[in-house]
Amino acid sequence: MALDLSKYLSLFVAEAGEHLAAFAKDVVRLERAAAEGGDRKATVDALFRHAHSVKGMAASMSLDGISALAHRTEDLADVFRGDPARADAAAVDLLLAAGDALAAMVQAAAGGASPAADDGLAARLAAATRAYREEGRPAAREAEPHRPPPAAPGEPPAAPPSENGARRRVHRVRVEVEIAGSCPVPAVRGFLVVKKLSSLGSIAQVQPSVDDLRAGRIPGKKLAATIETAEPLQAVERALAQISDIAGVAVSELEEERAPVPAPGPAREAAPEASRTVRVRTEILDGFLDSVGELILATARIREIGRALPSGARPALEEGVDRLHAIVKDLHDKVMTVRMTPLAIVTERLPRAARDVARKVGKQVEVEVQGAEIELDRAILDELADPLLHVLRNAVDHGIEPPHLRLLAGKHATGRIRVLARRDRDRVIVEIADDGKGMDPARLRAAAVERGVLSAEAAAALSDKDALLLACAPGVSTAEVVTDVSGRGVGLDAVKRTVEAVGGTLELESAPAQGSRVIFRLPLTVAVQPVLLVRVGEEVLGLPIAKVHGAAQVHMSRLDRSRGEPVLPYDGALVPVHELDRLLGFPGAPRDERAVVVAEGGEGGRIGLAVDALLGQQEAVLKPLGAPLESLSGLSAVTVLGNGRPVFILDVLRLLAA
Amino acid sequence: MAKRVLIVDDAIFMRNMIKDIFSGSGFEVAGEAANGLEAVEKYKELRPDLTTMDIVMPFKSGIEATREIIKHDARAVIVMCSALGQESLVMEAIEAGASDFIVKPFKSEDVLSVVKKVLGDA
Repeated sequence: MALDLSKYLSLFVAEAGEHLAAFAKDVVRLERAAAEGGDRKATVDALFRHAHSVKGMAASMSLDGISALAHRTEDLADVFRGDPARADAAAVDLLLAAGDALAAMVQAAAGGASPAADDGLAARLAAATRAYREEGRPAAREAEPHRPPPAAPGEPPAAPPSENGARRRVHRVRVEVEIAGSCPVPAVRGFLVVKKLSSLGSIAQVQPSVDDLRAGRIPGKKLAATIETAEPLQAVERALAQISDIAGVAVSELEEERAPVPAPGPAREAAPEASRTVRVRTEILDGFLDSVGELILATARIREIGRALPSGARPALEEGVDRLHAIVKDLHDKVMTVRMTPLAIVTERLPRAARDVARKVGKQVEVEVQGAEIELDRAILDELADPLLHVLRNAVDHGIEPPHLRLLAGKHATGRIRVLARRDRDRVIVEIADDGKGMDPARLRAAAVERGVLSAEAAAALSDKDALLLACAPGVSTAEVVTDVSGRGVGLDAVKRTVEAVGGTLELESAPAQGSRVIFRLPLTVAVQPVLLVRVGEEVLGLPIAKVHGAAQVHMSRLDRSRGEPVLPYDGALVPVHELDRLLGFPGAPRDERAVVVAEGGEGGRIGLAVDALLGQQEAVLKPLGAPLESLSGLSAVTVLGNGRPVFILDVLRLLAA
Repeated sequence: MAKRVLIVDDAIFMRNMIKDIFSGSGFEVAGEAANGLEAVEKYKELRPDLTTMDIVMPFKSGIEATREIIKHDARAVIVMCSALGQESLVMEAIEAGASDFIVKPFKSEDVLSVVKKVLGDA
């Protein structure tokens, strides 16, 4: 019976993509292990398995081009399983090229194509496989024809079954279960059913989804699943009979034998794992978060309305609102948990990227990643991928010296870059530190003045630490040579902007000859951020607390002036004070007695914003501005207060440019 | 031969109640444990046919204990004793390898029906 393969396509693309990402990572790990010793055998085994899995999946999807190239790749990896030491740089390059080509083909397949294998690459892989094989074998074996790779231990063979013909056929079974009406927790029952089914084979489809079950949803107390299993129908029925609180079970054969898929062997661990997770498109998660945000705002609005009620009517409403608030908060937390994703999805590719850049510019570098398991909001991770990559490339290209200069400086020829992530209360700190030549504040000052970013006096007045931040100013670069990797001076400013857009901050530290450190301080989530509400005339505006350093009450007339502009002594420095109403073009006479909020401002410095009153701090659900407001420089988002009033959130950095 | 049961709960009251349910119904109560740590040790020592496991306990939760027992013996049959409102914990326990669960307050026939089913005796 023909199978509609298209419905498996997105799953195939996602899973094959994961295998290929892991493949690329393992190739780099293999190369590193070759340099410093390490368990190369395990890495080669993993490479083989990834290629093997992609081959099998692609074959099941009738994507023959991918399957063929994966097969060649698997062959080459297989050669090194006997003797990982023979995987030299040329082999690593070839494996990486194969991995890249496969990844590109999988992407093409995502668009509905059935890409053909690159014959040249396939031929190179085959030739290399032959050459490495012959090199390592006694002459007598040289003539041995190309043979399929032996199966890995504990792994089903790729080719048709060889296990004494004992392998049972895999068939698809439809299972429908009705949970007993008396069961107090039907969703948990349903979850147990899914778990039980996943121990019999792999679950192709289940309704309601595991996520729904986790959330306690099982409409009509009914569950339907399709499983691929080698077990007979009776075994499925027997397994389900062991579960209590089930009112009815229907088990039926769905269709004839499938294309060969790896049968669940005795040691099947991957299948239950895969069936316990459900892939959800990130836009759906965004939609959830948006709705939860609206709920939070609506709850606050009801609370506000309740305040106007006569006092006798209030307690009942308030109790209800408190309960609603608690539920919404809980829902918000759950949605946020679902959105949390380990940093690994962006750090995984860094060692590979560093290696590519290093090879291109003739340097040696190794990347160490720590804390990749730390979780962040998916939205932040998506934004963070490019900035991290950029900073890493910068570090390889500009930070790390060429090997001969490193040796002259008494360093190891191979530069080290450490990517270190850790939780610090409600923030995640990601540092990228290199042991290269460091940045020179004096040269950054000179470059900034030359580009007209700031005056010579202003540059001279900057502390060394602030001067480092000039590297973030557009157009400032001290790279002697502009390479195609980096050095155009566009980039670090974009990195800083991106990080700030998600509510984070960027810091630079550097010591000449010792290296540089770029520190990202990131919120765990973007959507709800604490903001400081301020009043200016009739308007209420918000400032992200992350940007606020402090506040002071002042008389404008008593402030010192520097070049005619008022300045506030703050934290050992003079902070220029701007009147927020004037910056924003609000009407009204200037007032003398004001509050000044000291915030992180342009050019790596701080600015003071004079306002009429500080209204306090509040958790705000930030919503992006739609057109045409988004084109206004100086505003970054909007939120709605409990009283229904919309409040704009200021983009302090770009406020001065507005 | 009577099936041997290990009862894990931090409340003596609950242990006694569960013990009574089993001993009156042809099971042999092989042992008791009052926390997760003890549960893992007793399991290794007694190798019971069935373990009833409370979820929230001192020193080591029932979920942790389940995980460790299953790691030690993948065929262990563990039935979680949960309460309403602990749905997500029960699911966690199922992921850790628990075979089934009962929801407090429970009646003796419910408990026996669940354990007989998981033991395949029903």
